[in-house]
Amino acid sequence: MPDDKKVSASAKVFLIQPMLYKSVVTVYRIFAIVTLYAVLIGVLAYGFVMGFYALNTSWAAPVILSPADDKSLDFTQKLVTSRQTLEDLNVDMKRLQEGVAEMNKHRTALLALEPELQTAITREKKHNQATGPQLLELDKQKQADNLKTQAVMAQVREVEATINKDLAAGLITKGDAATQRAALNQAQSTYTDSKIGEILLTDSILEKTTTDTKTLDVLDKQAELISEVAQLDIAIGVAQKQIYEETKQITMLKQALATAKSTPYYLSVNGGNVVYFAFVPYDNQSSVSIGTAVYDCYLNMVACKKVGTVKQSFAGEEHAIHPIFRTDIRGFLIQMQLDRAESAKSKTVFLNRKPLFF
Amino acid sequence: MAPVLIWLILFLCLLISILKYTFALILKWSVAGATVKKDYSYQPTVSVLMPCFNEGKTVYETIESISRSNYPNEKFEVIAQDDCSVDDSYEWMLKAQRDFSNIQVRVGRNAVNSGKARTVCNALQHSSAELMISIDSDCIFHPEAIRELAACFSEPKIGSVGGRVGVRNPNENAITAIQTFIYYAAFQVYKVPENWTRSVGCISGCLFAIRRELLLEIEPKIRSRHWFGIPVNQGEDRFLTHQTLLRGYGTYINNDALCWTTVPSTLPELFKQQLRWKRSIIRDLFYTLRTLPQHVWTLHPNTVLTLVLTPLGALLGLLVALTMLSGNPMALAGPAPLIAYLGIGAVLSWVIRKYSAREAVNHPLAFGAYLAWSLVSSLFITTLALCTLDSRDWGTRTKEKEKEQEASEGDAGRQESLC
Repeated sequence: MPDDKKVSASAKVFLIQPMLYKSVVTVYRIFAIVTLYAVLIGVLAYGFVMGFYALNTSWAAPVILSPADDKSLDFTQKLVTSRQTLEDLNVDMKRLQEGVAEMNKHRTALLALEPELQTAITREKKHNQATGPQLLELDKQKQADNLKTQAVMAQVREVEATINKDLAAGLITKGDAATQRAALNQAQSTYTDSKIGEILLTDSILEKTTTDTKTLDVLDKQAELISEVAQLDIAIGVAQKQIYEETKQITMLKQALATAKSTPYYLSVNGGNVVYFAFVPYDNQSSVSIGTAVYDCYLNMVACKKVGTVKQSFAGEEHAIHPIFRTDIRGFLIQMQLDRAESAKSKTVFLNRKPLFF
Repeated sequence: MAPVLIWLILFLCLLISILKYTFALILKWSVAGATVKKDYSYQPTVSVLMPCFNEGKTVYETIESISRSNYPNEKFEVIAQDDCSVDDSYEWMLKAQRDFSNIQVRVGRNAVNSGKARTVCNALQHSSAELMISIDSDCIFHPEAIRELAACFSEPKIGSVGGRVGVRNPNENAITAIQTFIYYAAFQVYKVPENWTRSVGCISGCLFAIRRELLLEIEPKIRSRHWFGIPVNQGEDRFLTHQTLLRGYGTYINNDALCWTTVPSTLPELFKQQLRWKRSIIRDLFYTLRTLPQHVWTLHPNTVLTLVLTPLGALLGLLVALTMLSGNPMALAGPAPLIAYLGIGAVLSWVIRKYSAREAVNHPLAFGAYLAWSLVSSLFITTLALCTLDSRDWGTRTKEKEKEQEASEGDAGRQESLC
C-alpha cells in the first residue's frame, strides 16, 4: 500500500508540474509581450517627444518665483542696498549743497572786506606821506631847542652850587634853598621830557616815512584774505564736482531701481498678488508678444486648452535647464495672466497656438 | 532610494572591474603563479566534439584546420555532429571525413533539431577519449591548440580549459573591429585574475576542453536543463564552466591555445548573438542567486564576485541607461564618453598590433561607435533577453526552414544517428 501511495504522489507531481510550468510560461509570455510592447511604445514616444521638443518653437516653461528663492533673496538684498546707497547719496548731496552755499556766503563776505581794507591802507599811506615830512621838520626844530636847553642846564648846575654856598654862608634859609633847588629840578625834568619827546618824534617819523611792521601786519592780513578766498574757491569747486558726480550716481541708481521695479523678481517680492511667470528660450522668442494666448497641454503636447495670455515680457537674460533635454539654455522670462492657476505647475506651456493643432 | 542603490551597485561593479583589470595587468607581468604549469609530455586521448548547424562549407574548413594539429594523430579524433542543418553542412562534413583521412573523423546527425548543448552530449556518446574538446564549427584552429589545451590538464585540479578566440575578420567593418577589441581585452586582460585563482567564470564554447569523467557527470544536467519545462539549448559553455567550478575543479584559459572565429559583421547578426549571450548571462545570474549559499561556501570569492557582479552590472546597465535617458538625455552627447572610448580603442589597437598582428585593426577609431552600441545593448538587448528567456533557437544560425521544423517538433535531443 505505501508503494501505491508513493506512486500516486509521484504521478500527481508528474501531472501537476507540467501544468504549473505551462501556467508560469504563459504568464511570463503575456508579461513579456506586454513589456516588449510597452518598451516599443516607450521608445517611439520617447523619440517623438525628443523630436517634438527639438523642432517646436512655441513652448515655454512655467516658473514659480517665491520671495524665498535664492534669486529673489539676492535681488531683494541688492534692492535694499541700492535704496540705502541712494538715501546716503541724497543726504550727502544735501550736505554738500549746504556746504557750498555756506562757503559762497563766506567768500562773498571776504570779497566785500578786501576793498575796504585796501581803501584803509591807501588812506593811511596818503596821510603818512603828508605828515611824515612835517614831523621831520619839527624834529629838527626840537633838536635845536634841546641843544639850547642843554646849554642852559649847564648854568643850572652852577646856580645849584651857588645855592649851596649861600646856604652854608647863611645867606639864605633852608626853605629858600629848597625852593630854589625844586625850581632847578623842574627845569632838569622839563629838559628830560623834551629829550624823550624828540626820540618819540623820531619813531613817529620812522613810522610815517618807512614800511613798518604794523603795515606788514595789515598786508599779511590782506594776503590771508585773498588766500582764504582762493581756498574757498577750490573747496567750492571740489564740492560742486562731487555734487555733479553724485547727481549722476543718483540718476543712475534711480534708473537701476526703475529697471529693477520692472523685473519679475520685484513683482515676485513686492507684487502682493500671485504672479505667474514662464521661461522662454531665445529660439522661441518669435512666439512671444503681449496678449498672446497661453495653452496648457495634457502630456505636455496634446489636448491643449487656453489657460491665459502673456501679460508682459522681461528684457533680462535668464538661464534655465531644458525641461526635456536637461541642457543649459538661455532665454528670458514672461509674465502670464493665468485663468487656471494649476497651469503654473505644468512642465511646459505653449504660446500663440496649440503645438499639434488639438 | 532605488536610484541610489542602483548607482551604488553599478559603482561597485565598476570598481571591481577596474580593480580586476589593474590587478590583471600586474599579475600578467609579474606573478608566475597566474599561469598554469603546462606539461607537454602529458598527451591524453582527445575527442574533438564539433556540433554543427547550418555552417555550410565552413565546417569543412574547421575540420581541415583540426587535421593539421600538432598532436599525435592516433590520440585524437573528430566527432562532428549535425543538428539537422537545412543547408549542405552535413555533406561538407562527409566530404571532410573522406578528404582528411590522416585523422579519424566521425560524422553524426541528430534525428531532430536539438540545440547545441544536446548535440555536444550526443557527440559525447560516441567518444571514449580521456579529454573532450568541444569546438564551434565556424572556427579555424591553430595547429598547437589541442596540444596546448591538453598540457594544462597535467594539473589534477583543473577541470576545464579554454583557448583564446581571435577574430578572423577584424577589418571587415566597424562592427567587426569593435568585436576584435572586446575579444582581445576579454582574453588577455579580463580573464587573467580569474586564471590566477583557476576560476574562470565562462570558458568560450569556441574552444572548450573538459575531462571526460566531468563531462559525463554534468551531461545529465545539460540534457535536463530547462526553463519552466522549456529545454534550454543556449549558453552551454557558461553552464559547463559553472558546473565545473561547483564540482570543485578549476577552470583556466590558455591564451596560447588559439582559434579564430568569424564574428558577426552586420547589426542584425550581432544583435542576435548578443541577445543569445545576454540570455545566457541572465539565466546564469538567476541560477547563481538561487544557489548563492552553495557558491559562497564552495567557490573562491573572486569567482563568486565574477559570477554575481558581472551579470548584475549588465542588468543594472539597463536601469542606468533608463535613468540617464529620463534624467539627462544629452549626457551621452558630450565629448567625454566618446573621448574615453577612443582612448581605449587607441591603446588596445596599439597592443593588438604589437602582440597579435593578425588581428590588427586598421581603423581603431571605430571603437568610438561602441558608445552607441553599449546603449543599444543595455537598453534593448537586456530587455529583450529578459523577455525571451523561453527562446531556444540557435540565434545567428537560424534559418526559416529550421524555424518551421522547430515549431513542429519538441525536445528530442536524445534521438540521433551516427554516420
